[in-house]
Amino acid sequence: MKKCEIISAGHKLNVKNYIVKLLQPIFSILAGLFVGGIIIALMGENVIDTYITMFRGGFGSPYYFMSTLTRATPIIFCGLGVVVSWRAGLFNIGGEGQMIVGAITSVAVAVYLPIDGITGLLISLMAGIVAGGLYALLAAWLEARFGVLLLITTLLMNYIADYVTTYLLVYPMRNTEGDAIVVRSEAIPESMWIPRMNLVNGSTLHYGIVIALVLTAALIFINRKTVFGYESRISGLNPGFAEYGGIKQTKMMLMAMFISGALCALGGSIEVMGTKHAYYGGMITSTSFAWTGLMAALVADLNPVGTVICSIFLAGIQTGGAMLERSTNVPLEITMVIQAIITLLISAKFFVRFLSRHSERKKEKEEGATV
Amino acid sequence: MNPDYIAVVINSTIRMTMPVLFVALGSAICNKVNVFNLALEGQMLVGAFSAIAINFFTGSLVLSVLGAALAGMIIALIVAVIQIKFAGQDMVVGTSVNILALGGTSFLLYILFNTKGYFTDPSMSGLTKISIPVIRRIPFLKTIFGDLTFVDYLAIVIAVLMFFYLYKTVSGFRLQSVGINKKAAESCGINGTGIQMAAVLCSGILCGLGGALLTLGQVTLFIENITAGRGFIAMAAAMLGNSHPLGVMAASFFFGFAEAVGTMMQNTAIKGQLTLAFPYIVTIITLVLSSGKVRRRKKVKVYKKV
Repeated sequence: MKKCEIISAGHKLNVKNYIVKLLQPIFSILAGLFVGGIIIALMGENVIDTYITMFRGGFGSPYYFMSTLTRATPIIFCGLGVVVSWRAGLFNIGGEGQMIVGAITSVAVAVYLPIDGITGLLISLMAGIVAGGLYALLAAWLEARFGVLLLITTLLMNYIADYVTTYLLVYPMRNTEGDAIVVRSEAIPESMWIPRMNLVNGSTLHYGIVIALVLTAALIFINRKTVFGYESRISGLNPGFAEYGGIKQTKMMLMAMFISGALCALGGSIEVMGTKHAYYGGMITSTSFAWTGLMAALVADLNPVGTVICSIFLAGIQTGGAMLERSTNVPLEITMVIQAIITLLISAKFFVRFLSRHSERKKEKEEGATV
Repeated sequence: MNPDYIAVVINSTIRMTMPVLFVALGSAICNKVNVFNLALEGQMLVGAFSAIAINFFTGSLVLSVLGAALAGMIIALIVAVIQIKFAGQDMVVGTSVNILALGGTSFLLYILFNTKGYFTDPSMSGLTKISIPVIRRIPFLKTIFGDLTFVDYLAIVIAVLMFFYLYKTVSGFRLQSVGINKKAAESCGINGTGIQMAAVLCSGILCGLGGALLTLGQVTLFIENITAGRGFIAMAAAMLGNSHPLGVMAASFFFGFAEAVGTMMQNTAIKGQLTLAFPYIVTIITLVLSSGKVRRRKKVKVYKKV
């Protein structure tokens, strides 16, 4: 029953429930910022000034906001990947590995295949998607066929992907030009870059964000209107019931994990094709895109639109955090601490508890009576 | 292959095993009370960091080890309160705590030592190596048991003690009964929630010790995310050993061996980055090989019910 709680909440069409559902993440975010504020105060910095710098750095001007959106793009993809798998009860925590596989495959295809231009871009994105999807599919198949827990295999596969990619970068795919300190691949030809949007002068925002938003809409459609969406939700809510109702769990599971992995991988591919234009060693692990996406999805209670909003919010905190690091003594890692505290508070549902304490007490009484 | 080389491999296996064994025992005790603790990795990481930080500021090894255990327990307390007391969803709590630990240790690394990536200092000394009088004289055994610290031996002692506690004492059986059926156990007057929380706290202590061994055992160094998935490998070990302390010990030795082989392969034609992936691949393959049968049996049961 515990397993379904997170997925099941909010299927009752009740205005009060919706308000509570919306207040929950907002209060948790405020509480997370409050705890972060205590930490900042303990460091002897001015809390208000620090937060102002942070939010100005993330959202303060059109240019900063564009940087935030650039950073949010891969995070959104990973968040959506988490939404697809977690709502089906598949705890994929290997987004990072899938992202790495997608990114490195795209780079390899873009650099070494004699293709060019928009076709080249599409082919390398597709290659990334398929590779990442298959990487996640492997973990799903191991659970379906052998009962090996998905959450362990996906996590361990993060490290495998990371080490193998580092090997590829250090030896076969190494770019020998340029400085020797940064390990990186050959640069992707400019004709294959994802075009920039140029909404604000000098911003690096590219059309990847549009793809992310289109996929978000597609995901909402799939969740609400397709058999797969229904089946995956039911499987997440109650696997026993789903099995009894004739849902082919294995097929659903493999499909959900393939899509989940493909989304994460696309995030990695788009990051290299749109922003970095080469694979730099550790570019995905050090930025913790995948984990931020996971947290965004959790804060949004696995709602696709909420995931997009939270991704942008968390990305804003991170870009702001980078600015904070330059101007104050507060390191960038404070953002990770704040994020984790927010999700922790959300998981405990402290505020739902607080707001609906009365009704819960009633329920407990009833339960007590029946027991 | 000469006996010296074998002794070196065994020694390396033991050294790789012990940190994982601590955490695997922690995982086992959580499994025993039916709590799915995913935060072992985070507990271990915080323990590892605390050990280094306390060692640097106090210079006392005893305090470092105790402090690491305490730090692991504090993180476990967060898990226990939110996951058990407030019925938080285990996956969400575990993942958040792991990220909190990762972010928190990197944050503190910068605040306390003003550095990023890793920290080490010549003023710090690692855990004292113990040499046992009789063994010291026999060359083969000397290599096998060389360079082991007090905490390494403690892991074995705890595993054995845990076996006796779980299977030979009344209290141990009570603990197991909570895992089998919490409601039934509570109806017999056992404080189910309390025992579950205590078990999670124990796992925190064990993870803290494992973390301390990681940063003060063979090297005296903290690296960001130094645990690198060991918490999850330990969970695999606990599963493989069926949460039986001695079985868990055997499974941990197996994974320790895989890690030792991975490290040793670095000196061969295979490149270092690939050998680093070796323990993870071995873990997954082992899980596949060991649980194939379990799965088939379960399926038959389901069909019978229908």
